[in-house]
Formats: sequence, C-alpha cells, structure tokens
Amino acid sequence: MGITATIREPAEGLTVPGKKSLDPILKTENLWKLYRAGKVDVPALRGVNFAVAPGESVAVMGPSGCGKSSLLYVIGGLAQASKGRVLVDGNDLSAMSDAERTKLRRSKIGFVFQRFNLLPTLPAKGNIAIAQFIHGDGFDPHRFEVVTSLLGLAGRLQHKPSELSGGEQQRVAIARAIINEPKILLADEPTGNLDSKNSEVVLQMLRQLNKDLGQTIVMITHNPEATAYFDRVVHMRDGVIVDGVPAD
Amino acid sequence: MMGELVVRNLIHRPLRTLIGVLAVGVEVALIVLIVGLTSGMLSETAKRIEGIGADIMVQPPAASILINFSGSPMPTKIGEKLAELKYVQATAPALLQFNSSGSVDTIWGIEPESFRAVSSGFVFLEGHDLEGPDDILVDDWAAKAKNLKPGDTFNLLNHDWHVAAIIEHGKGARLFVPLTTLQDLVGAHDKASIFLIKCTRPEHTEDVMAEARQLIPGYTIRPLSAFLSLMTSTNIPGLQTFINVMIWLAVTIGLLVVFLTMYTTVIERTRDIGVLKSLGAGRAFIVRALLTESAGLCLIGILAGIGLSYLARAAFLAGFPTLSILITWPWILRAGGIALLGAMLGASYPAWIASRKDAVEALSYD
Ligand SMILES: Nc1ncnc2c1ncn2[C@@H]1O[C@H](COP(=O)(O)OP(=O)(O)OP(=O)(O)O)[C@@H](O)[C@H]1O
Ligand SMILES: [Mg+2]
Repeated sequence: MGITATIREPAEGLTVPGKKSLDPILKTENLWKLYRAGKVDVPALRGVNFAVAPGESVAVMGPSGCGKSSLLYVIGGLAQASKGRVLVDGNDLSAMSDAERTKLRRSKIGFVFQRFNLLPTLPAKGNIAIAQFIHGDGFDPHRFEVVTSLLGLAGRLQHKPSELSGGEQQRVAIARAIINEPKILLADEPTGNLDSKNSEVVLQMLRQLNKDLGQTIVMITHNPEATAYFDRVVHMRDGVIVDGVPAD
Repeated sequence: MMGELVVRNLIHRPLRTLIGVLAVGVEVALIVLIVGLTSGMLSETAKRIEGIGADIMVQPPAASILINFSGSPMPTKIGEKLAELKYVQATAPALLQFNSSGSVDTIWGIEPESFRAVSSGFVFLEGHDLEGPDDILVDDWAAKAKNLKPGDTFNLLNHDWHVAAIIEHGKGARLFVPLTTLQDLVGAHDKASIFLIKCTRPEHTEDVMAEARQLIPGYTIRPLSAFLSLMTSTNIPGLQTFINVMIWLAVTIGLLVVFLTMYTTVIERTRDIGVLKSLGAGRAFIVRALLTESAGLCLIGILAGIGLSYLARAAFLAGFPTLSILITWPWILRAGGIALLGAMLGASYPAWIASRKDAVEALSYD
C-alpha cells in the first residue's frame, strides 16, 4: 500500500468496516512529544492526530525512531504529552497530573511490551494476579480462569518467567494486561522477541481477544505479515501519522 | 499479594537478604547484650551488697554507688565512733581494693569477727574462715572462673594467697582477705573504704542514719536496701551515655546496611518498578512495597537477633562465669522496635527514589 503525504484529519465519528459508527475510545489531537536531550528538545511526536474506535484493532508501523513507542507511552499515560490532547474514554490525559494518569492507566489501559517485562520473582500466576491486586479489586478467580484458559496458560501458572518460553512469557504478559478488562490494550512490538511460530500464536490470540471479547487493541509492529490480523494499519514517519488506510 | 511479592523478592536474592538479616540481627543482639550486661552486672552487684545483711553503708563524701571506685579511704576510727551510736548493734570496716591485672576483681579486706557481726556470716561450701594473714576466701563463681579450691595458692596484688575456703556468692565481694594484710599491702594503714552498720532492729535504720549524719557530716550514708533501686545505669555517671552511644552505633550499622540492601534492590529492580507503574501502581504502592520488604527483612533480623543474644550470652557465660547478662523481654521488644524504626528510615530514601522513577525510563533500563 502507498503512503500518502497528507496528514489525516482527526476522526470524529469513525466508521469501522463491519462495526457500528461510534465515538472513538481513543483520540489524539495535534499531539506533540518532546524529549529533552542536553540543551535541545528532540521532537518524537510532531502533531499526531489519531483515533481508534471501541472494539477496533489497529497496527502501527513505521521506521525505527519515528515515534511509535512514544505515541504508545503518551496514549497509555506513561509519559506526559508536551502539547495537544489525548482523550482516553473521554478523559483528557494531557491535562492530568501524574497521579491521575496512574489511576486512569490502572483502570483503562493494558500494556504489552517487546521484552515481556514479567516480574522475575513471581510465578506466572502471581504476575497476572498482581495486576488485579494493583487494580484494587483483589483476586477474581472467575476472570482469572477465563483469561488464562483463553491464553492457554493453565498448565504453566506455577512457573517463574525464567522457566517459561518466550511465547509463554508473552502470553502471561497479555493475560496480565487484560485481566482487569482495560478499555484499550497497547502492545509495543509484542512479537519482536519471538520466533515466527510463537509470533503467530500471539497474534492469533490478540485477534481472538479482539474478535471474541471486543478488546480494543493498538499494536506496534515491524512485521508486515502481522498487520493481516488487524482491522486497520496506520503508518508513522518522523513523528506524524502519514495514512490511515484500512487493512482489508 | 503484597506479602507474596515481598517474600518472593526476599528469597530471590538469598545472600543479600542474609546479609541484611545478619546486620539487623547483630544490631538487635548488640543492644540487648549491652543493656543486658550493664543491667545484669549492676543488679548483680546491688544484690550482692544487699546480700551482706547489714543495714547501712557509710562511704567517703561524694562516693559513687559503685563502691569499688570510691575515692580515698576513711580512718577506721570513724567506725569506732559509729559503734557508739544508739541502736547500733555492730559496725565493720572494709578496705576495698580494685585489681585489674590478669582479671578484674575487687578484693575486700575485712575483720572476720566484725564482718560476721554485721552480716549473717558466710556460707562455707568448702574450707574454713580467714585464720592466717595470707588466707583468702573465694566465692563459688570466682572459684569456678579461676579454677580454685581450698589449699590452692593464688597470686593477687603481687601477693601469694592461700585459699582458705570457697564461700557461697552474694556477700558483697567475691574475694575476701584479712583487713590488716590488705592495709599493709596497699599502704593504707588504719584505713577503710566503707563501714557497714547493723542496727539493733531494722526499723531503726532511719534513726541511725540521721544520727550518723550528725556525727560525720558530708559522708555518704545509705541504707543497703537502696542499692538495688539506685544501681541503674542512669545513676552511674557516663554509663547511660555510653549505652546510648552504643545503641546509636548499632542502629547506624543496621540502618546503613538496610539502606544499602534496599538501594541495590531498587537499582536492580528498576525495570520491575517501571512494570509496576505501567500496571497502574502509584507512588504510594511502590513505597509501600519496598517498606514492607525492608520491614520483612528487619523482622527476620530481629528474630535472628534474639537467637543471637541468647547464643552470645551462653557463650560469654561459659567463658566468664562471673558475668551477669540480663536479657529481658521489654528490652528485646525495645531493641526490635528501634531496629524496625532504623530499617524504615534506611529504606525510606531508596523507596522514595523508586517511587519517583520515570516509568518510561525505568522500562527501558537494562
Ligand atoms: N528519553 C528520550 N530522550 C531523548 N530522546 C528520545 C527519548 N526516547 C526517545 N527519544 C527519541 O524520540 C524518537 C522517537 O523514539 P521512539 O522510541 O518513540 O521511536 P520508535 O518508533 O518506537 O522506534 P523503534 O521502532 O526503534 O522502537 C527517536 O528519535 C528517539 O531517539
Ligand atoms: Mg519503539
């Protein structure tokens, strides 16, 4: 597919193929992110306008250093926007304090990383349960059962991350990310450290989460084949989104 | 869940945890033992003085309750005057000589008859009373420590003594020799360090003390029953300060080790902290997790410290039977509380650092 030079206008009422027209669950307006490197500000995001409808799955692609991770961190409230607005489920993150963003992240965002990022001292079960604990509702055995069996983790729950394969670790990480039913699942190259077989398993599970549970997903990937599992692909370059053509 | 996280983290690095536990254990044991040793020695000394069985002790002006270290001796004539007071049944002089060469001992020079008159007398376990000028009475604890039995020769103050008897402990001193021999030996002719007074009835103690104060103004006159309550570290100049300094030192060691342990923990787990933040953990959660962890570490350390205290006491007493170390639960609890406070203080800066880490930077930490 070709990359158009025009910057996409912010979507107001998005139309997703096969889905109803809905207000976006996630929306950025002229979003800037500057990093301070010595005495100069390095722009990582330079006016990103981006919207995701509830239940949509979006793949974000782009060359290294174009700002994909930065976008994900700002959307997820891990980093503060420098300029512009970030609306998650109607809440403006750019106007929030660090503590408020933490609270929003706790209830509405799930993160999956390239490096799995499981807590090494806890077994798989503890890694998932700690998300429920931090969320504050305590251990919910029913939800736990649903999520772990969906991700095929039933037999591996007592194992520590070091005793799990990369694919298993990433599935634990996904389970941890969705255990609290977040509005949006954000994944930063989740298959980047996996072989093709495990990548496929993870991608299939993400698609299943999206199709069966209606989980909204935004995933960064370098793998063009991965985009086939998603509703829509977005391309970034030099801190801006350069298209928004639906994948299918 | 927090408990599981803490326990798992503690066993994840067993050596580091062990070092932290040992540091806190040593801290607690140091406090318990220092306090136990001083209070043990003091109360043991006080009991020994009380155990003499006399009613009043007269000491030189401004004398310490640690009678071993009580300034220049008084003329024995004072004793004769005291004996003439109403309600006084008997008086006895004693010359106290502190000896620190070889072992630390206080030797009492006494007259067997007058000492027997003011006290209820010695209980002889083996041997006989002071008869010859070179006789020495040794109490059972000292005999055990020095491995002595009646008939042995024993050099003290550059003098060869003949062990006349092993007596039951608890009569003021552990070593008794004839007064005149000791006076000659230390060049204090007709001098005594203390006078013991026995009243005709114990109820007359106050009256006799009042009379004695008129007779010899300025001298230190105390009922023997007061020694137990007076013999505390706060009444001994410098001792309480010494104890406090030792406690501060112990706490500082514990605090620094906990600080270092938690600091390295925080650095090692930088990424985990980022992960917790990505899961929505706030600053309070991070602080709580780390403080709970150091509290856990500290609690194990306190238990180790209690064990260590009893172990060290057993070892000390095996080596030095005359030592008295008083381990009390109030002080174990206090030492534990002090250690816990120190640990929280030591962990608070690392916890604060952790809570302030930037989530994105933490997540990209290697
Ligand atoms: N903490 C930082 N300080 C300074 N510059 C940063 C920082 N983080 C990112 N950048 C810069 O911001 C730009 C965007 O980085 P970002 O990590 O978002 O890119 P990316 O698209 O995720 O790249 P990749 O595909 O390699 O992961 C890059 O030029 C990067 O060097
Ligand atoms: Mg990236």
